[in-house]
Amino acid sequence: MSQRAGAISPLPHPPPQEARIHSTLRRRLLRNTFPTFALVVALLLVWEVGVRAAGWPSYLLPRPTAVLQRLAADPGFFLAEGSTTLAEAVAGLALGAGGAFVIGAAMAHWRPLERALLPLAIVVKVTPVVTIAPLLVLWFGFGPVPKIIIAAILTFFPMLIAAVSGLRSVDPTAYDVLRTLGASSRQIFVVLRLPSALPMLLAATKVCATLSIIGAVVAEWVGADRGLGRAILLANTNLDTPTVFGGIVTLGLMGLLLVGGLSLLERHLLFWHESQLSQAAERDAA
Amino acid sequence: MIAAVASATRTLGQHVKVDRLGYTYADASTRALDGMDLDVAAGELVCLLGPSGCGKSTLLRLVAGLLRPSEGRVEVGDDGHHCVLGWMAQRDGLLPWRSVLDNTALPLELLGRPRGIARTRAHQALDRVGLGSVDHFYPHQLSGGMRQRAALARAVVHQPNLLLLDEPFAHLDEITRDDLGDELVRLWADQQPTVIMVTHSALEAVRLADRVIVLSPGPGRAVGEVEVTATRPREETDRDVVVALHDARELLKGRVA
Repeated sequence: MSQRAGAISPLPHPPPQEARIHSTLRRRLLRNTFPTFALVVALLLVWEVGVRAAGWPSYLLPRPTAVLQRLAADPGFFLAEGSTTLAEAVAGLALGAGGAFVIGAAMAHWRPLERALLPLAIVVKVTPVVTIAPLLVLWFGFGPVPKIIIAAILTFFPMLIAAVSGLRSVDPTAYDVLRTLGASSRQIFVVLRLPSALPMLLAATKVCATLSIIGAVVAEWVGADRGLGRAILLANTNLDTPTVFGGIVTLGLMGLLLVGGLSLLERHLLFWHESQLSQAAERDAA
Repeated sequence: MIAAVASATRTLGQHVKVDRLGYTYADASTRALDGMDLDVAAGELVCLLGPSGCGKSTLLRLVAGLLRPSEGRVEVGDDGHHCVLGWMAQRDGLLPWRSVLDNTALPLELLGRPRGIARTRAHQALDRVGLGSVDHFYPHQLSGGMRQRAALARAVVHQPNLLLLDEPFAHLDEITRDDLGDELVRLWADQQPTVIMVTHSALEAVRLADRVIVLSPGPGRAVGEVEVTATRPREETDRDVVVALHDARELLKGRVA
């Protein structure tokens, strides 16, 4: 791929000053995050005031400040359980999405394989994972393996579809040029198919990242000795709702971390793609 | 004058011979091409002129080996010399994630040339088409005309001996089209490949070609041809061009010139 990935500034602009870049960056960050931030604060405020006014007990619905207290009192607990779940989710993502990409590439290359495998993939997809999870725990115990498998199953299908259609969606003229140059299918894959599929692959990875967290938590729910899912389940049975909400908040932060990281990657890798160009145009227009 | 130089030293181009070529698309019952004969001399610049749907693009794809003939045959080159193709179409087909330079270097990369040489040659080719100063730009930063220039540079950077052009200037404004046409003629005079260009513009055909072959509406077959002997660079008002244009248009209307 290109070495000039940094050169994205459109032509007419003179190179901006360092200070100006920083101030526009900060302003942009503020503008992008402020609406979310304001909404969250407003909701939390209504929640806090509402619970206090109604006088509900904490085990029914804890006040946001109580959840915050719980998080602040023992951040190590949430960090430890969270990183277990995150590791399971990421391992499942790598296995499921990675495997789906390889099989999708084979299916894109050879249609009979697509016809043979796609129905199977759909069957796997529509089987609710909660029905398989107990079996996996039975077979593989309370360790990380069932979680990784569940997360992998959930991420498999979205990546498979993205890989097959992404690797097939190539510019016909570019394809003709490569063929008239006698390019091998391996060369066509590396030079044309893979970069063409990248926008779809990254979008699918975002979807898969959130699914992998859900998969890991559901699997922990069924049977685990560690992890956030188990911690939430235990806290729930003990009516320790601040810990339940603390766990949910940690899960949310994990999701934001994964998707945010992937968005940064998109911006860097897809500087040439319509999705990023239209965002840049919007920023220019604003 | 350029034509005279070219004909004196024609060495690079490939002889193309098409023999009773027929083609039917698998998903359509209509025949795109029927009993097509074509003989293009080594180093000749020929335009295939016809209304849309006459099978001229199909013919070009058959010559390029992108399609396999239903009947008949295509022969490229007399002595089994290795044929190097250059291809350019209506759409630029540039890879949006590659800079203009890296796009232009692509054919050399695929032919296994070292990266340094590929980039130097690509830069030279871009210089020729007037894009030398923007070779680090990305396709989305260029106008349609500039993109087509880059596509032309990519089509000739590896010194092909058969250059196939499928309505390469169809989407461009008139000024850019004439410019790029002149550029094409200069490149052809330098490198002397055989050039087969498909177009639906009679004026463009007679401005550029040694010979204009007129095709009938589908299924396509040659209905006649017009030799253009005017010296290059040609003006629309040149007498030979005017006569050739008239003849080509008469052939298009179905009257024998």
